[in-house]
Amino acid sequence: MHIDNIPFLIVVTAFVLVTYIGFAAARWRPAEDPMRLSEWGLGGRRFGTFVSWFLVGGDIYTAYTFIAVPALIYATGAAGFYALSYTIMVFPIVFIFAPRLWSVARARGYVSPGEFVRGRHGSQGLGLAVAATGILATMPYIALQLVGIESVLTVMGIGSTSDNVFVRDLPLIIAFGVTSAYTYLAGLRALALIAFVKDALIYLTVIVAILYIPARLGGWGHVFDVASAHLKTVNPATGKRYGSLIVMPAGEWSYATLALGSALALFMYPHAATGVFAASRRDVIRRNAAMLPAYTLVLGLIALFGYLARAVPAVNADVKADGGNSQLSVPLLFEHMFPGWFAGIGYSAIIIGALVPAAVMSIAAANLFTRTIYRELVRPYATPAQETRVARLVSLLMKVGALAFALELNRTFSINLQLLGGIWIVQTFPAVVIGLYTRWFHRYALITGWAVAMTYGTVEAYRTSGGGQAHFGGSAAPVFGHVTYIAITALILNVAVSTLFTPLFRAAGVQDGYDETRPSDYLADPHPASIPRPRLADPATNLPASHAARHRAARTPARSPRSSHRSGPPH
Amino acid sequence: MTHYAHSRKSPATWTAVAILLAMAILGTLWIPLYARSAPKLGPFPFFYWFQLIWVPLSAVLCRICYLLLRVRPDGPAKTGRRQLLCISTTSRSSSS
Repeated sequence: MHIDNIPFLIVVTAFVLVTYIGFAAARWRPAEDPMRLSEWGLGGRRFGTFVSWFLVGGDIYTAYTFIAVPALIYATGAAGFYALSYTIMVFPIVFIFAPRLWSVARARGYVSPGEFVRGRHGSQGLGLAVAATGILATMPYIALQLVGIESVLTVMGIGSTSDNVFVRDLPLIIAFGVTSAYTYLAGLRALALIAFVKDALIYLTVIVAILYIPARLGGWGHVFDVASAHLKTVNPATGKRYGSLIVMPAGEWSYATLALGSALALFMYPHAATGVFAASRRDVIRRNAAMLPAYTLVLGLIALFGYLARAVPAVNADVKADGGNSQLSVPLLFEHMFPGWFAGIGYSAIIIGALVPAAVMSIAAANLFTRTIYRELVRPYATPAQETRVARLVSLLMKVGALAFALELNRTFSINLQLLGGIWIVQTFPAVVIGLYTRWFHRYALITGWAVAMTYGTVEAYRTSGGGQAHFGGSAAPVFGHVTYIAITALILNVAVSTLFTPLFRAAGVQDGYDETRPSDYLADPHPASIPRPRLADPATNLPASHAARHRAARTPARSPRSSHRSGPPH
Repeated sequence: MTHYAHSRKSPATWTAVAILLAMAILGTLWIPLYARSAPKLGPFPFFYWFQLIWVPLSAVLCRICYLLLRVRPDGPAKTGRRQLLCISTTSRSSSS
């Protein structure tokens, strides 16, 4: 057997195994009614600490972790390490607000942040804005996964010989198609099961790599020396140094804002919110926030792979041969440092580690579309089965869209795709997270703030050049002399505009929206066996419950539509 | 029947949680704190090992906060599962 076939065989075996699990998952913890959207899209909301941990961890550590971050560190040094800082501060942030979001979603049967916003602020427009932002921002994030898979396939020498785009990317399309098929059938269940396999592969690869590779390269001291020497040299393209081993004072501001902006953005993404909503109990979220840093540690170690790759001359030569595509640095590191069979395991870890989050993201975007756009605009009285059918279809469409996006994309710095998504998604922060605590903001003020910030963020990102691109080349731009992540600047603008316009709308007598949630909803902690069924038709009006609640509330606003439930203490 | 996470915690507990979480967030947000290469831990510059150490540290801080804020539905828990069982039984009988 030719030696190059070994990694290929291992990758195919791993893929077949995962596919088998995916299809078998339809029978795991079978649902009473598989055509209910919370069954397909949230796995029946029955995931305890253990499964949620794998799922949330699984869908936030992605090709971003394996390909994009090490690529940035490979090319620019310490500046890319903000990703570690970001994943350190994200869990304390989630710890603060996610339990409230979980409770209100459970009490009201929401499956997406957009639905919560619609119910909380009594504004269909704001709900739509949040949903549309979520779908838009998810697209480049899925595309990033595809770029990650593709860089592995390129290093494996698969499919890169033909000039035809379709033939060249056929393996990618096949892998994506198969994943879409079992996602379509088994929904989130399939992905929760596969997340175990994925994590096992990732931990194995990372532990072996971190113990084995530095020893082969002459120790970490040598690795840092090589990296430092490279970063001090001047990049002929820009006339500046490549970077530095320690963040320079001039880079501190962008480092901090990139970290903070990414951390605020993460749980605004529909897929991360899905991980929160799918938890079985309120406690699970906080307990997981204390356990998920195990993934952060892995991210930190993988980030350092960028320096390891820099210390291997053969990797540098191959990256240069591919036109300086630093995305290839980690797969190339595996190729040159590992025996063939273990390189195969490493490749499998990256590929499956990108496919699973891509599928979770598409499910989440589908939930969001179905509940906030389809049910609100197209078919208000859709049955649960209709909803699930639409969600399945949209999950396919999301993948097709991202695929088309990724096939035609500039791939120099794929991390920029994630950062671009972050600029958009973080603009839903005021409506969602601030909305969890206060309804002081007027609904139209929130919409105005969102619109201004989205426009500003997109225009600023468009105007930023970098990485050989004239537009959308970077995600940080100077503001008052400080290079700042555009997401943060736009978020500040967003909150400022919302704050300014709220008293104006009130003064003009524009009516506030009706809040269908109750203070007690934010502390609700229902037992898993008694999941409320707000989507069941209300016997009194024969309408879906949330609609009925709104109608009834309009008649008797003082009385809670859920007065039969024991109400908790005001918070 | 729905249970609620009662906020029966004292202001002192909330203050402690706020301080711990602020530490967890600001620990790596305040860059001048650690943007230096000395002291090294073995071959690792301070910049790198400081942040890597913050990972388990922030996990511990979150864990403490979780324990501080944990709510038991009805007084001190007996064995968790048995207690949940009796809750679900009583809730069914009371709501019917």
